[in-house]
Amino acid sequence: MEISSLSLRARAVVEGFMSGLHRSPRTGFSTEFTEYRQYSPGDDVRFLDWKVMARTDREFIKKFEDETNLRCTFMVDFSKSMEFGGDDAGVKKSDYGRTFAASLAWFLTQQRDAVGLATFDRDLREFIPPRYRQDQLKTILGRLETQPAGNATDLCQALEKLASLVGKRGMIVLVSDFLSPLDELESCLSLFTAAGHDVRAVQVLHPREVDFSFEGAAIFEDMESGQNLILDPGTAREAYQERYNAHNAALDAIFSAQGIPGFRVTTTEPLERVLQRFLEERPARAVVRQRRSNARNAA
Amino acid sequence: MSFLTPFYLLGALALAIPIILHLLHDRPKNKQEFGSLMFLDKTQPPVDRKRRPSHLLLLLLRCLALLLLAFVFARPFVKVDDPADATRRDRQWITVLLDRSASMQRGDLWEQAKAKVQTTLGQLGPGDRFSLIAFDDSTEPLAEVKSWLGSRSEAEVNLPLERLAKPGFGGSNLGQALVLAGESIEGDEPSPDDLGADEEPLARREIIVISDLQKGSRLGDVQGYEWPTGIRVTLEQIGEDDQGNAGIEQVASRVPWATAEAAPSFRISNSANGISDELEFLARTTAGETLSQTVHVPPGRSRVVELPGEWAEKSIDRLAIRGDVAEFDNQFHFAQNRQQTVRIVYIGEDKPNDAEGSLFYLASAFQQSTTLDFQVEAVSGKSSGPLPEADLYVIGDAVDDPLAQALGQAIEGGSTALMVVQSPGQAANLRQWLGVDGVVIRDIASRDYALLESLKLDHPVLAVFRDARFSDFTNLHFWKHRELQNLPDEGIDVLARFDSGPPAWLAARRGDGQLLVMTSGWTPADSQLALSTKFIPLLYSILQPVLEGKTQSRQFVVGSKVNVTRFNNGQAGGDVTVMPPGDGAVAISVDTFFTPLAPGLYTAKGSDWSETFAVNLKTAESRTEPIVMNQFKKLGLPMSGSVASPGDIAAAAAVGKTEAHRREYWQWALAAVLLFVTLETVLAAWGSRPAEPVMTA
Repeated sequence: MEISSLSLRARAVVEGFMSGLHRSPRTGFSTEFTEYRQYSPGDDVRFLDWKVMARTDREFIKKFEDETNLRCTFMVDFSKSMEFGGDDAGVKKSDYGRTFAASLAWFLTQQRDAVGLATFDRDLREFIPPRYRQDQLKTILGRLETQPAGNATDLCQALEKLASLVGKRGMIVLVSDFLSPLDELESCLSLFTAAGHDVRAVQVLHPREVDFSFEGAAIFEDMESGQNLILDPGTAREAYQERYNAHNAALDAIFSAQGIPGFRVTTTEPLERVLQRFLEERPARAVVRQRRSNARNAA
Repeated sequence: MSFLTPFYLLGALALAIPIILHLLHDRPKNKQEFGSLMFLDKTQPPVDRKRRPSHLLLLLLRCLALLLLAFVFARPFVKVDDPADATRRDRQWITVLLDRSASMQRGDLWEQAKAKVQTTLGQLGPGDRFSLIAFDDSTEPLAEVKSWLGSRSEAEVNLPLERLAKPGFGGSNLGQALVLAGESIEGDEPSPDDLGADEEPLARREIIVISDLQKGSRLGDVQGYEWPTGIRVTLEQIGEDDQGNAGIEQVASRVPWATAEAAPSFRISNSANGISDELEFLARTTAGETLSQTVHVPPGRSRVVELPGEWAEKSIDRLAIRGDVAEFDNQFHFAQNRQQTVRIVYIGEDKPNDAEGSLFYLASAFQQSTTLDFQVEAVSGKSSGPLPEADLYVIGDAVDDPLAQALGQAIEGGSTALMVVQSPGQAANLRQWLGVDGVVIRDIASRDYALLESLKLDHPVLAVFRDARFSDFTNLHFWKHRELQNLPDEGIDVLARFDSGPPAWLAARRGDGQLLVMTSGWTPADSQLALSTKFIPLLYSILQPVLEGKTQSRQFVVGSKVNVTRFNNGQAGGDVTVMPPGDGAVAISVDTFFTPLAPGLYTAKGSDWSETFAVNLKTAESRTEPIVMNQFKKLGLPMSGSVASPGDIAAAAAVGKTEAHRREYWQWALAAVLLFVTLETVLAAWGSRPAEPVMTA
C-alpha cells in the first residue's frame, strides 16, 4: 500500500495478477450464457430459434444472458470501523478493501464488463449503476477514494435498498468487515440470491481483530459509537476470541446457506493472491442452480 | 481555639493533591481506537504494583507536615480568661444628647427616645461617667453622674427624665448641642494627676445623639468647629420612617411698616415624601366659625396662599392645615397687626395745600398704610401754645420762644427734629438748639445750580442710599441754598456738602435726640428734592429709629425674644404682664423681653392697654424628613457607624481585650513541622537504600 493513488494501486495489482494469469489455463468467469425457453404466445418471434424448430419441430425462444458479458456491482463498507489499522500491524481495512474493489473493477473493465459501485454505512450512501463506459472506471475510483465517515454499520438496510436498485442479474461483491450483528443478514442476502445474483462476500479484517494482540491496559474506544471501555487485553483476549470465532462461524453458516462464497482476508495478505482466489472460485450460482434442480427433482 | 487568619486553613486542601494524583494515575492514560467493541466486556485492569503506596508512614509524615504548615499560617490562638480582667473594665464617658424639639412630638418618638436613653443606661458599668443633655434651640443639662453607681445613679438620671414628660415646642439646633457637648467633654477632661489611686482613666468618650435627625435641624455650628480627638459620635436615629409632613408659615415683609396693603399671605409647604397633595386650609374666627378651602400642594413643593377677601374681613385668630400625617405643626396662630400712629409736627407758616411750600410735600410723603397711621400736624412758629408731642418735628421757619425752647428740650429729651434752613432769620434757633454762638446763615447767590458731593453714606440717615444703585445724587439740582458760617468742628456731622464747599446736610446729637439741618429745602423754589426719588427714602430713613422703636410684628416663634416695650405704640413702659394662652394660665410680669416657650395667642397687658401677639413653631420644625447621613461625615464628625447599638460597643470592647490576652501557638506548630520534615528525611534516606523506589503518592 505504498502507492497512494488508488487507480495506480489497482493497476499494479491487476498487472501483477495478469502476468500470472497467462500461465493459468482457466479463463475466469467471462461467460456468455444462453438458454432456451418454450415459446408461449406473446413472445417476440424474432427470438425464435429457427434451426431448433426445423430440427425438432418445436418452438424455442433463444434467450441471451445479457448484452455484455457481466454486470458487477461492488458494495463497499464505508463505515468508520473500516478505518481501523494503519499502524505498524498493517494497512487500514478500508484501504485494503477499496484497493481490492478498485483492482477487480479495473480487471473487469479490461474485459469490457460493466462495473458499478454502491457504498454504505448505516444506509446505502451512493449508488453508481454498472455500465461499460470509458469514464465509468474513473468515476468509481474517484468515489472509492473518498474517506469513510459513517458512525454505524447496517448492512441489511443497505442491501434492501440496493436490491430495489439493481435490476438485471449480475455479480454483487460485498466488501465489509461484517463486524455487526448478523440477525437479519441472511434474509437480506436472500433478496439477491433469490433474484439470481451472483453474490460474493469479502470479509476484510485486521490481524489485531483476529488475535486481539494488544498489550497493556488502555481505554478502548469504539470507532463508530465513540463508546469507551477500559480493559486489560491480556484478560479480555480469551473471551474476545471466543466471541469472535462464534461470530465468524455464524457468518459462514449464513453464506453457505445462501450459496455465497465468502473470502475472509486479513490486511496483511497480498492482494494478488486474494484476487486470484476470488477469480478461481467457481461461480456460485451454479451451485445454487444445482441445488434448486436437485430440489425440483426430489419434488 | 480560634484563628487570626483562618483563610490559610484552606491550604490544608493541598493534602488532597497527591491523593487525587494517585487516583488519576490508576486510570490507563493511553487510548486505543478499535473497530468494534461488540466482542468486549469491561474488565478490571490489574493494579500496578508499582503504584501501590509502599511507605505509608512517609506519606503520613508528609501530609502531617503540610497540614501543620497550613495551621501555622492560620495563626491559632486561645483566649485566656484572666480572672482579674473579668472584674476590671475600661471606664467610659457617655454623653447623651436628647432631642426635645417640637418635631419629637410626632407619634411615639418621645417614648422611643426615652427607651433609647434607658438602653444606654443599661450599658453603663460602675465608675463610668454619664451626662444627659436635652436640646432644642438651647441646651439644658438634665443629669450628670461622675461615677456610675448602678441603680442609685439610674434613679438620679430618671428623675429629671420623668419630669420631662413631653418634648417642647422649640426648634432644633443639633450643631450647637454637639459643639457644647464636645467642648464640655474636652474642657472637663481630668488630668492623670487628678485621678484617684484606684480610679481608672477614661478609655472612651462618646456622644450618643438620640434624635429624629430631621432636616430642619441646624448643624451650622459644627461646620467651623474643630472636633476634639478621641470623642466618637453615635447617631441613634428614631422616626426614620417619616411619612412626610406639611407646614404653614406667614409670608411677611422684612420690615413691618413696609407691609403692603394686600391681605396676609401664607406659605404651605409639603415635604418630598408627603403622602397627599390635597391639603385643607382652615381658618377659625374669634367667634368660633371655621372656614376652609382645599389647597393643592404637590409633594416637595410649596405654595403661597393669600387669605381670601371674605376671610380677611373676619377676625381670624387661628389657621390650620389638615391632610398630612404629623399633626404637631398644623396649627398657626394669627394675630393681626394693629395700626400704629406716627405723629409728625411741622412748625412753620406753610399752608397745607400750598404746592410751593414744604408742608404740602411732607404730608404727601407719609401715606397711611395698614400698619402705620401718619398724622401730620402744622403748628405756627409764632404760636405761644404748648409744643405737641410728636415722633418727628420738621421746622421750616423761624420759631419764637417759648416754642423754640420747648423744642430744644424735646430734642434733648430724645426727639428727632429736622430743620430746613430757608431764611437767615433761623440763625437764632440754630444757635439755641446747637448750643453754639456765632452761627450765621448767609444766602448764597449763584446763577448756577448746586449739586451734592461728599455724601457720608455710612451715616444711619443716608445708609439707605449706600447701595451703588441708589447713591447717584447728580440728578438732584439745588437752585438755592444757604451757608452756615462759624460752625464748630466738633459735635456736628456733615452728611453732605454742596459742590461749592459749604455743608448741605448736617446732623448733630443733642442729649438723647438728634437735630438734622438742611441748608436747602425741598420746595420747588429751593431744589428738585421733593420731586426726586431720594425724598421719601430720606424721610423714612430719618424716621426709622422711631418706627423701629414703636412698631413690631405681632407674629413670633417659640424661643424668640419679644420686646414688650414696643407694644402700645412703642409706649408700653412700666409694668407689663404677659398672659400665656390657655384658661388656667398665670400672668407673667415682664420688664423688657419675654421668651415664649409654647405656641399660642399671648396677651400683653399694661396699665391701660392690652395687645395680642401670636407665637408659632419654627418653620424648620416642619421639615421632618431625615437628614442625609452623608452630611454628618462631610461636617467632619467622627462617626462610630451610622446606627450603633450599645451591644456593638460592648463587642468592640471585648475584641480589644482579646487582642491583649490571647495566647498564640503558631511557634509550636512550626517546630512540629520542622520535626516532621526531619523525620521524613531520615525515613526517606533509610527507605531509599533498597532498590525499590519510594512512592508516596
